[in-house]
Amino acid sequence: MAPSIKDEILEIVATVIEKEAGDISLDAHLVQEVGADSMMALEILAALEKKYHIVVPEERLKEMTTVNKIIQMVETARKRG
Amino acid sequence: MVLEIEDIKKLIPQRFPFLMIDRVLEASPEKVVAIKNVTASEQFFKGHFPGQPIMPGALVIEAMAQTGIILYKQKFANDKVLFLVSVKSRFLKPVIPGDQMMITVEPIKMMSRMGIFNAIITIEDRKIAEAEIAFGSQDAKSI
Repeated sequence: MAPSIKDEILEIVATVIEKEAGDISLDAHLVQEVGADSMMALEILAALEKKYHIVVPEERLKEMTTVNKIIQMVETARKRG
Repeated sequence: MVLEIEDIKKLIPQRFPFLMIDRVLEASPEKVVAIKNVTASEQFFKGHFPGQPIMPGALVIEAMAQTGIILYKQKFANDKVLFLVSVKSRFLKPVIPGDQMMITVEPIKMMSRMGIFNAIITIEDRKIAEAEIAFGSQDAKSI
């Protein structure tokens, strides 16, 4: 079975933040609780754009606060095509 | 669009002895190509190394970073000072006096307060270094 989009995104986030995927709760605030910073957010965004062939405008970076919100954002962007 | 040295100095804040590009051959928000002619008179060759001049890898990265500033300025015309955040690089061949580095940079993601770009340097069509470089401006933290 192909990995779900949730697992894929969690893996990208975990790799950039250098934590184990299992240690990141989907609703934890990535900056305040997980220890990410704005440059990591940019790296995550660049990786997502490459993987899913989407373009996310700069203003949406501040919405990427939790893994669940990132999943939501990617799904919306994919629907828009 | 070709930029000569005085045009380049309007876009990047570095000056002698830290100007690491001589001319820009091509500049657009999608791609910038610059050249750096490496001469025996470079200050750093005096100490790196005596009797065996090799351009320091850190300065090869600096040439990529300065070309990256030109790339950023093609999209955002502002006076922000940009700082290096991360560099993932590979060096394939040393740079020595007489070499002409051709530095090509392309954006991965370019935003007003930070960005990531790819850089490749060739000498006589042979790739000698490559890097993925992230940078941020002073106000990047406020996101």
